[in-house]
Amino acid sequence: MAVSNIPVITTKELHEKIASGKPIFILDVRNEDEYANWKIEGKHVASINVPYFAFVEEDESIWESIPNDVKDIVVVCAKGGASEFVAEQLRKRGYNAVSLEGGMLAWSQFYQPELVAFDENLKLYQVNRLAKGCLSYVLISEGEALIVDPSRHIDVYLELVQKEGAVIRHIADTHVHADHISGGPELAKRTGATYYLPSSDVQDGTVSFEPLENHSQIRMGKVIVEVLAIPTPGHTPGSTSLLVNKKHLLSGDTIFVGGLGRPDLGGKAKEWAQMLYDTVFTTIANLSDDVYVLPAHYADVQEINERGIVGAPLGDIRRSNEIMRTQDREAFTETVAASAQSEKPPNFETIVDINRGLKEVTADEANELELGPNRCAVHHSTPNV
Amino acid sequence: MADLVIDARGLSCPMPIVKAKKGIDSLQKGQKLELIATDKGSVNDVQAWAKQAGHEVLSVEEKNGEYHFRIKKG
Repeated sequence: MAVSNIPVITTKELHEKIASGKPIFILDVRNEDEYANWKIEGKHVASINVPYFAFVEEDESIWESIPNDVKDIVVVCAKGGASEFVAEQLRKRGYNAVSLEGGMLAWSQFYQPELVAFDENLKLYQVNRLAKGCLSYVLISEGEALIVDPSRHIDVYLELVQKEGAVIRHIADTHVHADHISGGPELAKRTGATYYLPSSDVQDGTVSFEPLENHSQIRMGKVIVEVLAIPTPGHTPGSTSLLVNKKHLLSGDTIFVGGLGRPDLGGKAKEWAQMLYDTVFTTIANLSDDVYVLPAHYADVQEINERGIVGAPLGDIRRSNEIMRTQDREAFTETVAASAQSEKPPNFETIVDINRGLKEVTADEANELELGPNRCAVHHSTPNV
Repeated sequence: MADLVIDARGLSCPMPIVKAKKGIDSLQKGQKLELIATDKGSVNDVQAWAKQAGHEVLSVEEKNGEYHFRIKKG
C-alpha cells in the first residue's frame, strides 16, 4: 500500500479508550462472516459491519448505514490495510476516522495485565488477552515468578516479570488448552523454569513437562506461597485448579464467573460431565464462599468488573449460576452435556495436538489457527454469541 | 482466455480488490477478468466482493502460493 497519512490508533490506545468507559463507534470493514464470527466488544462499544469492497465500489447507499450523529469512528479490518483505505474515504466526508493499526490480527495479540492482589508475600497479576477472552496469571514472590496458563506471545510475561525484578521459576497449564496455543513449552525453554501439566491430558503427546499431579504444592519465594493443586476434572479429565494461599482459585476452564467449562471437546460429553459434577459437588463444595475465583477464560465483556478484572467470590458464582446448585446428578449432566451442541472453538483439534507436542506450526500458521473467539464455557451455547 | 489480466501479486488488502474493480470497470458485461494475487485474505474477499458487485467468480485456483481468479463481469 502507498504510504498514507491516515491517523491510526494502536491496540493499546483502543483498549484504554474502551476501558475508560467512553462510548466508541467501530466500523468493521471485514467480510460479513468474519464479523459475525468475531469482533471487538466492550461495554460501551457500538459497531457496525460494512465490508470494505462496498467502499471500493463507491456504492453511495453505504453512507446511509453510518449514523449521522457519530463523528469519531474507529475503522477495523483484518490486518490494517483496508481500514486505512476506508478511513480515508470517511475523512473526506468529514468524519473523524482513525484506522486500527494492524487490524484484528494485532488485536488478537494484545494483552492487558491487571494487578489482582498484592501483599508483602505475593503479587498476583491477571493478564487479559481481550480479543480471545483468554486469561493467564503471573504470581510473584521474593523475586520468583509462577506463570499460569500462558499464551504463546511469551514476551508479555518476560517483560512483566523483568519489570518486577523477578525470574520465572515455575510455569503451569491447568489443562491442555483447546482454544489457544500454550506459551508454556517455549517459556520453559527460554527461562529454564519447570513446566507443569496434568499427565492425563497429554496422553501420547511428546511435549516435555513435569506431571502436575505429582505435586501437591508448588513453593516459590523465600516466603512460602502455597499453591495447592486440586484436580478438577470435567472440562478435560486432567483439569486442575490452583489454590493460592487458600484465597485465590485459579480455576482454569473448570469454573467461570458465568458458568462451567464445556465437557465435550474430547468427544465424551456425558462421561466428562459426570466428572464435572463430582468436581463441583465434592472438591469445590469444600471451598469457602470467600475464595476468589480467577478463571482462564470469559465469555462476555460484561464479566470484566469495574477494576478491569475477571473474577468473583465463589459464593457469588454459586448464587448466580443455577448449574452450580443443580444437585440432581441427572439434570446436571443433561444440562452440561447439552453444550456439546454448540459451536466448538475454531481448529480446536489441531490446537490440542500442538499443545501436546504432536504438531509444530510456524508463527503465521499459529496466527491463523488462533483467530476467532474462545468457545470453552458452557454458556457460550447461548444464541447471541 | 481472459479479456484482461490484472496482476496484484505482492499487494496486500485492499489493493487486489481496488485493482480488480478498476479492471472490471473497463470491460463489457460478460467479458472475463483474470486476477492474480498472493494475499491469502483475497480468497474470501474476492468472492464476497464479486457477489456484492454482481459479478461471477468462475474459478479460483492456487498455484505455488498464487491465487488465480477468473471473474465474469455481470
